Amino acid sequence: MSPTDFSWEPAYIVLAVVTAGAYAWAARADRPNGWRIAAFAAGAFLVAAPLNSPLETIAAKRLLLVHLLQNALIADIAPLLVLLGLTPAMKTWVARHGGSRIRARWAIVAWLAAWYGTHLAGFYNWALDTGWALNIEHGLLIAGGLLFWWPLVSGRLSAPAALAYLGAAFVASSFLGLAFIFSSHPFYPFYEHAPRLWGFSPTRDQNLGGIAMNGEQTLVFLVAIGYYVSRLLSEESTTAPV
Amino acid sequence: MLAVALAAVAALFFAQGVARLRRRGRADLAGWDRVALFAVGLVVPVVALVGPMDRLADTHLAVHMLQHVLIGDLTPALLTVAVRGPLLVFLLPAPLLAPLARSTRVRAFLSTLLRPRVAFALWAANLAVWHVPYLYDLVLRRDVVHYLEHACWVVAGLLVWTLLVDPGGHRRLTVGGRVALAAAMFACGQVLADVLIFSFQTLYPAYPGRTDQQLAGVVMMAEQLVTLGALAFVLLRPRMRGARLVAA
Repeated sequence: MSPTDFSWEPAYIVLAVVTAGAYAWAARADRPNGWRIAAFAAGAFLVAAPLNSPLETIAAKRLLLVHLLQNALIADIAPLLVLLGLTPAMKTWVARHGGSRIRARWAIVAWLAAWYGTHLAGFYNWALDTGWALNIEHGLLIAGGLLFWWPLVSGRLSAPAALAYLGAAFVASSFLGLAFIFSSHPFYPFYEHAPRLWGFSPTRDQNLGGIAMNGEQTLVFLVAIGYYVSRLLSEESTTAPV
Repeated sequence: MLAVALAAVAALFFAQGVARLRRRGRADLAGWDRVALFAVGLVVPVVALVGPMDRLADTHLAVHMLQHVLIGDLTPALLTVAVRGPLLVFLLPAPLLAPLARSTRVRAFLSTLLRPRVAFALWAANLAVWHVPYLYDLVLRRDVVHYLEHACWVVAGLLVWTLLVDPGGHRRLTVGGRVALAAAMFACGQVLADVLIFSFQTLYPAYPGRTDQQLAGVVMMAEQLVTLGALAFVLLRPRMRGARLVAA
């Protein structure tokens, strides 16, 4: 199979389409502004596109680097964008239907469990060997991402609590990327025996995957931390005595 | 040995400050906790700059980085926390403090250095400049430049940590501003750490090991996470409690 061939995980096309349909239906009653629609569309696109394109072919057949990049996109960025696309009324609806029961301390644990659990060698190899189990891996990562971002996007956390939450998540999640970066032998036998691409050895491929993962997380978390620091500052300026 | 001499002088100043405050019946402002913090704040740079760590720093970039973060970050953090409150004023004996305090030039100079933007810019510039490969190499060849480098780390660290801890209670920054400064310092440090961790080429000819270079990045990141993370936690904790009470 050529690396430029398309591969498909149709479940995620269906998921993106169904979610977009639900969003459009909800938007009839509570019209979102342009940037919310753009955020939601980008999030839905980032769920469907990386899993239904040549990216999936390379990720599932050739390079761990691309697979890890794919995972970072669907676990960190796509869920955040989807949730940012929700209007206040949509968020209230989600909160009423279970969202309000999601506690930040459990959300972070679930996200970390998905993040580390799906990258355990046994699970990862099984998912790659069977092919269909990649759906489970990606589903867990997307669900973990949605759970993780919900306490922040729903507005239930104060700026200081949000900073603590993001700081804890940043520290706790960074070890996986560092393990890939510092590794001197491949963790996943599947990629050790996969046909190589772009001249990367299995170890270099894994090191680069760690860099991509760590770089993406650093960027996302620093932007999020920056946002909450600016919110903290603006809260102080509005409460300061004149 | 310069480090030991400077630490001894600092210890003397601190001891006379503590003694004077206690003589005035304010042992509560100069307790043993402060003494312990200050002592650790002096032991850390001495351990970093004298003995086996200093020898290892010549051959291992990660150890050299550890030296820098210890003297430029942990030491200023410990010292500023130790002297906060009236103890800060008592650090210098009156005959030394009075002329300095009266001098408008000295006050204006310090006031300029301690403007948040100035202090942060100096700290960030210090971080960037001393990691230029040419300078890093030069430092290893010339002792004078090496002393200058370490002095810069200490001064830059003291400037930002004075703003972060606010030992004199000057309130140059609000709590949010202090968290913002800590976040900005972490972001800058993270850029450097990522360059070191992510690079496949060694950047410093004197240190040929790539893993050593990557470890140096991790050392920087981990130390900043501990010091700045602890500070952010201490600053934000009362706010988190407050937010919970409001929510309840």
